[in-house]
Amino acid sequence: MGSDTIEPSNDQLKSPSVALTPETESLVQDVGDVEMLVGIPSYNNADTIAHVVRAVSAGLAKYFPGQRAVLVNSDGGSSDGTPDEVSRAVVDFGALLISDQQSRLQKIITPYHGIPGKGSAFRTIFEIARRLNAKACAVVDSDLRSITPEWIELLLRPILDENYDYVAPYYLRHKYDGTITNSIVYPLTRTLYGQRIRQPIGGDFGFSGRLTDHYLDQHVWESDVARFGIDIWMTTEAIASGARVCQSFLGAKIHNPKDPASDLAAMLMQVLGAVFALMEEHHGVWSRVHESMPVKLYGFQYEVGVEPVNVNVERMIASFQQGLADLTPIWEQVLGRETVAELKPLQAVSAADFRIPDDLWVRVIYEAALAYHARLMPREHLLKAITPLYLGRTATFVLETQGLTTVEAEGRIEQLCLAFESRKSYLVERWN
Amino acid sequence: MKDFLETALLAPLEQLGRQVLAVLPNVLAMGIIILFGFVAAWGLGHAVERLLRVVRLDQLCNRLGINAALARGGVKSDPSHLVGRAAYWIIVAFSTVAGLGALNLQPVNQFAQSFLAYIPHILTAGVIVVLGYLLSNFISQGVLIAAVNASLPPARLIAMMSRWGVQIFALAMALEELGIAQSVVVVGFGITFGGIVFASALAFGLGAKDLAKDYLERTLSNRARDRAPDDLRHL
Repeated sequence: MGSDTIEPSNDQLKSPSVALTPETESLVQDVGDVEMLVGIPSYNNADTIAHVVRAVSAGLAKYFPGQRAVLVNSDGGSSDGTPDEVSRAVVDFGALLISDQQSRLQKIITPYHGIPGKGSAFRTIFEIARRLNAKACAVVDSDLRSITPEWIELLLRPILDENYDYVAPYYLRHKYDGTITNSIVYPLTRTLYGQRIRQPIGGDFGFSGRLTDHYLDQHVWESDVARFGIDIWMTTEAIASGARVCQSFLGAKIHNPKDPASDLAAMLMQVLGAVFALMEEHHGVWSRVHESMPVKLYGFQYEVGVEPVNVNVERMIASFQQGLADLTPIWEQVLGRETVAELKPLQAVSAADFRIPDDLWVRVIYEAALAYHARLMPREHLLKAITPLYLGRTATFVLETQGLTTVEAEGRIEQLCLAFESRKSYLVERWN
Repeated sequence: MKDFLETALLAPLEQLGRQVLAVLPNVLAMGIIILFGFVAAWGLGHAVERLLRVVRLDQLCNRLGINAALARGGVKSDPSHLVGRAAYWIIVAFSTVAGLGALNLQPVNQFAQSFLAYIPHILTAGVIVVLGYLLSNFISQGVLIAAVNASLPPARLIAMMSRWGVQIFALAMALEELGIAQSVVVVGFGITFGGIVFASALAFGLGAKDLAKDYLERTLSNRARDRAPDDLRHL
């Protein structure tokens, strides 16, 4: 794939994708053109955002001295003083042995319009990037605790120096951290689009000005993408549009913990719904891809201790078994009788013997995608009904990798990816 | 003798003949209207059925669970055929009423007027019942999935109650629309619904007091994080 399929930008001819406030318009006029832009979407992140802003400021000053850059905070109406924290955050460049570059970094703090959500926040950031003719952009989450100035270089440098269009993050994570990514999103995205991007929904990305234009020109901003699913949408859209993609090793990602008891079904619905919707949109692209290729990884890789993750396998198995007892008719409608019949023996097995094999899991996901495409039932119901199956598969992964190191567990994920790839022809055949 | 024959026999016969001649066009008109109605009903019934097959109504109903519900009720025909037959009988009924109206008889006219005035109520009640059924399926499926995802043991019971609740509500609305025992339906529904809510509240309060306490604690405070059985981060 090459970058030639992305339309070159011509901002003079383009109409605004989204309206900016008069104050923001005025600020954009004052700033003029910039080389780089770093966006931070936020909503009630006063506790953490100052650290993120300082890391971004230091990163730009340290690694891109003398280049014009702007920091954009796109806020969703925080009530805890998040924008004030952004404007107050300053870096002691002297302590970091950086000659003072603060005057070059300007901050634009703006509310965003549209449907509340990270996607709408990004849209405003993209619009400002287009107005400022930014050549390279990055977005980072506002709840990061482990971000360092190096992240900014790793996200922007491949675009400025190596002519990449999209930089995906590569984090060091605990083997049980990011289980939706590991069991569904990574294997499926890699199988469909042929690019082995390990963290397709990482949340922190770098992208070129050309890709920004492409994103803004897509008519998705009033859809669910504006609310959620923006991360997987950006990655998939970059690959499908033919952009040059790479990864940057960012080390451990530590961010404010979200309540683990928060609605898993809603989270799964959002992510899986976005992946399946993108499959419908890019069928012409993924149906022609036959194998996956490694994606260039930048950055110095190292091992680091990651936060331990407590897992309650029995609870996950109990959730799966309740699903098997109560949702069988729905599962049969979505997955087919044969697939559910293979799951049935798991109703009675003990936790030690509980396993959903790779091949069966691949069929579950493919059948779910096909049922979504065929609209066999209301899509929200279909996606939420997958939750107990996902918990069963996660329990399987935990049981299989209990004594393994993170690297060894990664080998199990690779096996799963190969299982996804080996059955892709079935998906392509049934989809048409 | 001749006068007798003329007044006692021929005059009534003549009058009868005149009456028959006066009614005959109406009877003929009635026959034509009904015959035409049957032909039109046959043609339109088939056309409707064919059209619905072309637009894949059967597949849509299959997805919505209507075919399964019909099968459960012992109906073996598919929805396209059923709607086609319904169209046939509606047209037959209309043409019969119109044909009888052509006789221009007072009682028949009154019946026809009452029948025509009642038809909108029947249609509205039918729509309410069908929509209620579809809505009950949708809601009970959503409730079942949500209850399973929340690991509530009586998930199927909760889903079944939601299904029956919506269906009873729809039935009460339909009966009220038809004007059948309006006060009985409203009072009956109110008592039943209120009773269910009261009984559920009592049962939950007495039987699941710890669960309610735990739920409120988790909802109103941040203790959920402390008690979470695992800290798996899914994304």
